[in-house]
Amino acid sequence: MRAFAYTPADSPEAAVRLAAEPQARYIAGGTDLLNLMKDGVQQHDRLIDINNLPLREITVSEDRVRLGALARMSDVAGHPGVRRRLPLLSQALLAGASPQVRNMASIGGNLLQRTRCWYFRDSTMPCNKREPGSGCSALEGLNRWHAVLGGSDRCIAVHPSDLAVALTALDATVTTLSAQGPRSIPVREFYLSPGDTPDRETVLRPGELITGLDVPATDRSAESRYLKVRDRATFEFAVVSVAAVVAVRHGVVRQASLAFGGVAPRPWRSPEAEQALIGRPLHAATVAAAGRALVRGAIPREHNGFKIPLVQRALADVLDGFGGRR
Amino acid sequence: MSAGVVGKAIARVDGRAKVTGAARYAADAEVRGVAHGVLVMSTVARGRIVALDTRAAQAAPGVVDVYTHLTMPRLTVPAPTTGYFKRFVPMQDENIQHAGQPVAIVVARTLEEAQQAAVLVIVRYESQTPQVVLADGLGDAYVPAPGSDGTNDYVRGDTGAGLAAAGVIVDATYTTPLQHHNPLEPSVTVAAWSGDRLTVHESTQGISNTQNALMQALGVPRENVRVITPFVGGGFGAKGPVWPHTLLTAAVARLAGTPVKLVLTRAHTYTSHGHRAETHQTLRIGAARDGRLTAIEHVVTQPVSRSDELVFNSSEPTRMLYACPHVRSTQRAVRLDLPTASFVRSPEAATSHALESTLDELSHALQLDPVELRLRNWSAVNQETGAPHGSNFLRECYERGAAEFGWARRDPRPGSMRDRDGLIGWGMATAAHTAGGRPGAGAAVTISVEGTALIRSGTQDLGTGTYTVMQQIGAQVLGLPLHAVRFDLGDTNFPPAFASAASATVPGVGSGVVRAATTARGRVVALAVADPRSPLYGVEPARISTADGYLHVTGQPSRRVSYRSVLRRHGQPIEVTSDPAPAALGYSTGAVFVEVHVDPAIGRIRVRRVVGVFDPGRVLNRQTARSQAIGGAIWAIGFTLMEHTLIDPHLGRVVTPNLSGYLVPVNADVPDIEVGFIDRPDPSSPALGARGFGETPMTGVTAAIGNAVHHAIGKRIRDLPITQDKVIAALS
Repeated sequence: MRAFAYTPADSPEAAVRLAAEPQARYIAGGTDLLNLMKDGVQQHDRLIDINNLPLREITVSEDRVRLGALARMSDVAGHPGVRRRLPLLSQALLAGASPQVRNMASIGGNLLQRTRCWYFRDSTMPCNKREPGSGCSALEGLNRWHAVLGGSDRCIAVHPSDLAVALTALDATVTTLSAQGPRSIPVREFYLSPGDTPDRETVLRPGELITGLDVPATDRSAESRYLKVRDRATFEFAVVSVAAVVAVRHGVVRQASLAFGGVAPRPWRSPEAEQALIGRPLHAATVAAAGRALVRGAIPREHNGFKIPLVQRALADVLDGFGGRR
Repeated sequence: MSAGVVGKAIARVDGRAKVTGAARYAADAEVRGVAHGVLVMSTVARGRIVALDTRAAQAAPGVVDVYTHLTMPRLTVPAPTTGYFKRFVPMQDENIQHAGQPVAIVVARTLEEAQQAAVLVIVRYESQTPQVVLADGLGDAYVPAPGSDGTNDYVRGDTGAGLAAAGVIVDATYTTPLQHHNPLEPSVTVAAWSGDRLTVHESTQGISNTQNALMQALGVPRENVRVITPFVGGGFGAKGPVWPHTLLTAAVARLAGTPVKLVLTRAHTYTSHGHRAETHQTLRIGAARDGRLTAIEHVVTQPVSRSDELVFNSSEPTRMLYACPHVRSTQRAVRLDLPTASFVRSPEAATSHALESTLDELSHALQLDPVELRLRNWSAVNQETGAPHGSNFLRECYERGAAEFGWARRDPRPGSMRDRDGLIGWGMATAAHTAGGRPGAGAAVTISVEGTALIRSGTQDLGTGTYTVMQQIGAQVLGLPLHAVRFDLGDTNFPPAFASAASATVPGVGSGVVRAATTARGRVVALAVADPRSPLYGVEPARISTADGYLHVTGQPSRRVSYRSVLRRHGQPIEVTSDPAPAALGYSTGAVFVEVHVDPAIGRIRVRRVVGVFDPGRVLNRQTARSQAIGGAIWAIGFTLMEHTLIDPHLGRVVTPNLSGYLVPVNADVPDIEVGFIDRPDPSSPALGARGFGETPMTGVTAAIGNAVHHAIGKRIRDLPITQDKVIAALS
């Protein structure tokens, strides 16, 4: 790790001003950033400590939940209002990391955690995301954990956040502050596909600060579930995951919002899979059709083809519990 | 001997020091003026260094110096008998034999400065495409010349004839992946020179090995090298051999003129201290219709590095365990551009897995219960040597384990047992591992004028409880209360001991302590019966018993005298030193039963129950022995379901060099583990009837899990780890 300057910020505006410096970076929990810096994956001249900013509140109102960006994963996961109104969010958070990490890691930082792709995380291996133009080692390498959907010939790394998958299904909005002022970004538009620029992962501008999240909590009739499939019982990233918010009335799907983790470089939505469900009875045939729609266009690599059947099975397993089935 | 000290469940005597941080591990050694070393590792797997630029690193703040093959002194490659297994010392020339080979060491005043400067070292390579995939090299496999463990092509009888006589033959190919030890404490060397005398604080399983290897590498006399290791934060074989970082750190400390501390980073441990080689195993087992084995052919193929041919997967259980007249057990090697492999707890885990899994296949082919199959092939003797075991209660292990598990309720049909959420599988296997049979250890006993005893041996405590059980043995033999005995270890100034490896500590060090303590006790008894002021005056020494700090006439507990008063009258301590003596080779066995649950929708496997009943001879300490068994079972869960070190096939580099990439079980993966012991002394053991046990309990559990998965889903997954993608593929 290289030496860096450290400056605590005492207001969001001051933080944004400090971040005008190139190679400055915000630090909240530091659970990912410090590892990346120690491993030489990222180098920053200055860390701006935002932990003292008044962005930690969790507010549950009639139709929405507002999360301050500095609320810790454990704060949100254990919040009674969140558990009552948005159990999906709580489930997804508890499926991530370990209690120790959840006590440190902030909600805003969670959205910006970097991929677990090992070629990215070793600063001496070729990786287009870390070092544009150096090549992608995963395409022909060890890619069991890599994307089958939404990748490009430059990058097939997957986004690691469980929270982001749940927020995508819940259609949340990210609020930010930059030198240009505050703005709101739907989480579904927050992440970029890798295309030719896998080093660009989000629409955030340089120095833009995540201040919070707005999560709608309108449909009280919908059922939701987060299923995470992984290689050990806990403290491990998803091989595939499914976040589903589904409203079933009289056996017919009225509403379906699905998001998938572990299969794509960004939290993956499949409007086609949702459409395959909406207006149809929640039968095995419907579920199978949704699964097929989900993986249409999927590109398997040497070691990750199993994700294509696995994500369909995971989706079926989640839907199996809805609408009084099972 | 008094009853009670040995055999109890006694908490580790060093436990409090460990949990309060008072225990000083190698990296905690306070050495005045110590500088910090950081290794720079090769990023190519095969090739040579063509340019090195250390100027920026040397100019960085706090840097003492940067050492490369251009500036290092010439070091002698220590002989393999020192435990230095690698056949070259890095940083002696420009050649690169594997990725993650040291190419430079940065020494700086602080660790942070050394880390920062290490990044600034520029190395350019001329590299060739490495070959690292075992499957691609199977055609080039060869049988290496006999090694320290003997022939690599063991033959008993005529397997062709045995197979011809078989009523049923099972053929199977199993693979196990490359795996690492992952001790909590990475390897550490703190080297300090005083003139031409070297003191090394080392995290090692073998201080004598380290001393010998340093002596040879550096060309200094043995008495000039002292190695100190009071505590080890786990070794599992990683710290049994001596590895380059130890030699390099000592060499640069001398050059730098300052003590140097080097702690391997977690990433560096994946190329710096050996690993369990990947295996490709073919088995052919023939049996008569009644289940009696007629032949076993077991071929294990594994990678070796370009410069050594260390193979540690000779199948001991295939040769030794079951009654079978015709056996061939062959180890083959394939040269690849990988670091040197070595042993990992337990060296027989990979071969035992394949053997015990194939036996399960045989039991299905014969429609014979797997416990019954093993009972029918039970052997009273070591099948390789023909010698009877000192004791062998394996049949009792099967019986008790099956009863405690409820094995009789098992429906043998695969897929027949389920619950609401999925499939249940019950599997079993035999646990077996040799123990001891190594050079053993000496021990020095000092009985003070206060009547307390200090026992010292140059052994190590890996966290297994050596401090505790040796204190128990000493107290038991001397007849002193536990608190009146102290055991000290981890210093080459103490009587020498073999490495803490090969389940050899209890038989080797334990018997050394027994010998020295027995002699010391005899001296005290002799003093007591020769002293006219003693109540024991004139009594035949053989009629004296010792217990709880007293000597008394056997059968007359009131006619007694305390150790303290005997020693006080003597006026000086009694000192006895025993020389190392080889401990006999023991065989510790057990029976393991496992229940798994499989969610067929997503292929998820959970181990729900493990029951193991073991025969380690006499159990010295039920608590530490039980912990060994639990630890073995937990590791076996990792071994079977998740552990593997992945090497990129093109780059030849480890891509999982941390505990985020290399998964080991977390608490949520570990179910209730029930451990039982037969606990009957092995009369052939010179360590109070106890045999070594550390390696046995990791065997058996792996195959029992695999066999349980087969019982649950009706498909055999022969390539480890058994991950859910393989389950789904098997079910699809």
